[in-house]
Amino acid sequence: MLLLSSVTKRYGDVTALDRLSVTVPDDTYVSLLGASGSGKTTLLRVIAGFEEPDSGVVTYDGRRLDGIAPHRRGIGFVFQNFALFPHLSVGDNIAFGLRYREENPLTDTAEMRQRVADVIRLVGLEGLETRKVTAISGGQRQRVALARTLVTEPRVVLLDEPLGALDANLRERMCDELRSIRERLKVTFLHVTGSETEALLMGDTVAVLSAGSIAQIAPASSLFSAPHSADVARHLNAYNILSGKADGGRFLSDCARFVMPGHPAVQDGTPIEVALRFDRIFVGSADAGEAPEASISARFIASEFNGSSVLSFFRAEDGTLLQVVAHLSGPPPESFEEGALYNLAFNPQDIIPFIKRAA
Amino acid sequence: MEFAGEQMQSAAQAQGGQNGVSPAEHRARQERRNALMLISPGVVWMALFMVLPMVMVIYVSFWTQTTFTVEPTLTTDSWVRFLTSSTYLASAWTTVRIWAIVLAATLVIGYPVALFIGLMVRNQTLQTALLVICIIPFWTSFLIRVIAWRPMLGTEGAINMILMKLGIVDTPLTTLLFSELAVLIGMTQIYCVFMVGPITFMLSRIDPSVIEAARDLGAGFGRIFFKIILPLSLPGVIVGAIFVSVMVLGEFATAASLSGRKVNLLGNIIVSQVGSLKWAFASVAGVILTIIIAAVITVLLRVVNLRKET
Repeated sequence: MLLLSSVTKRYGDVTALDRLSVTVPDDTYVSLLGASGSGKTTLLRVIAGFEEPDSGVVTYDGRRLDGIAPHRRGIGFVFQNFALFPHLSVGDNIAFGLRYREENPLTDTAEMRQRVADVIRLVGLEGLETRKVTAISGGQRQRVALARTLVTEPRVVLLDEPLGALDANLRERMCDELRSIRERLKVTFLHVTGSETEALLMGDTVAVLSAGSIAQIAPASSLFSAPHSADVARHLNAYNILSGKADGGRFLSDCARFVMPGHPAVQDGTPIEVALRFDRIFVGSADAGEAPEASISARFIASEFNGSSVLSFFRAEDGTLLQVVAHLSGPPPESFEEGALYNLAFNPQDIIPFIKRAA
Repeated sequence: MEFAGEQMQSAAQAQGGQNGVSPAEHRARQERRNALMLISPGVVWMALFMVLPMVMVIYVSFWTQTTFTVEPTLTTDSWVRFLTSSTYLASAWTTVRIWAIVLAATLVIGYPVALFIGLMVRNQTLQTALLVICIIPFWTSFLIRVIAWRPMLGTEGAINMILMKLGIVDTPLTTLLFSELAVLIGMTQIYCVFMVGPITFMLSRIDPSVIEAARDLGAGFGRIFFKIILPLSLPGVIVGAIFVSVMVLGEFATAASLSGRKVNLLGNIIVSQVGSLKWAFASVAGVILTIIIAAVITVLLRVVNLRKET
């Protein structure tokens, strides 16, 4: 079990990690979601030992890792740009760790060949052992980087945006493969990404990193359906966030006013943020009689066709931008007129309210 | 539609019929012509000022030498005289020996400097500044840089003064100046920067994450140096070695100025023979020197295929 407690890392005036604590259980796929600049890479580098924390503790199974040189930590790191050894063949790249590691290097050539062959089969690189790493494709390089790390049998594998350098088609295939490889090896993968779909797809557990600390860590489905804060909801890129204040159990803002579910016990005037899922909004005509109880009137701006769904953008009178997703599996959505006023209706029970924390 | 198709076809025929070549072939011809234009000044220059003189030198080395003149009657006299004289063979050996020592010294001193500038300093501006500092001595003339070693190494020079003041020696060291050591020190100092530059360049191109990856895979510093850093910087070492070799093998000024005539390199022989108008004999020494340089470069290029490096 990898444990970070109250880890802080500063670069000059910038605090990259701010008293970050997280527990990464054994044999799981954890994805770490964070915007660029949220400290994702710094966190991985602190765990791997390329950076030392200014304060805080990193342990693995009770053994302290911080202060130990990176080559003695037993943590695998798969670099975003793969960082393959350009002068070595695929086979030699993969054998590097076994051959040259400081702690009990492998000298038995037969065993070496066996283990390299095993991992090459695992990642599907058969027949490329003697190729130079400059003469293979991006996807193959990704596999070499992974195989090179896996063959040394690290306890935790850190993957720094491992799919970022691949094209979309390959990315989907690698997603499945990464999951199945991990399940076979029963190690922990800590996968850092800036894409919420990738994080939710890959992780058994998803951690959201925001402003240098973990905002929430939970199983993917519960994280998605019940974010703990407006900040987490923002990272999921599936929620409209409205700011307003409490008013007798109701949410009140310049553009909307509705009853909050569960009637949170807050004082009137408390700043509140609510999250409203893109796909829980129903667009109706503005002049279709009486407006429903929970609705926002907004002008249509534009829409994006995404194949299986349509994402439409609306702007409320007070300037709030609202996004609405219509899945094309249902009845075909009507086309909206640019600049026209519509009624965005929703069920108040679908609203997730948060008390806004003082900045 | 059919009409449009016909029109296109006839247009293509018309174009093809104009000069009977396809656009691809036309482009290829144009590129060949451009390549030829780019390379011709260099070829002309090299032919006039390198190939021709070299052929001339080989030819003259077989001419007949009298006291003050040289005649185009072919003879092997000069070659026999060189190859049977222990003095001249010894000077060829000295040239090779000094070259080997200076090459080793520039590498041993230059590599750590390059390692520092190219790998430890990650700020590009600072890297450039440090390299510029390395070439500041080149702002003074070559001869002044050589002669400046005299007040450093002489019996009343700076080094002896410091050693005496510190009480390390009682009488000044006389082996410092006008000795082979002085030549080695002088040449190493002058040519070291030609080793530092190319190695620094190669080292600075190494992706830092490659070194981190090696570390992450469990390798200690020694392994990383010998298995990653050194192989990746080898092309720089070879380029540096070629620079240093070509310059040291053709050297005569440092030896003339710092050795007190104790060290006679092939370069010094050529200078003195030309001085006494022994053109045929100087040509023999020149041809032998050229052969040595060519052999050294061939061996160095065998170590690493520079064309493969991109």
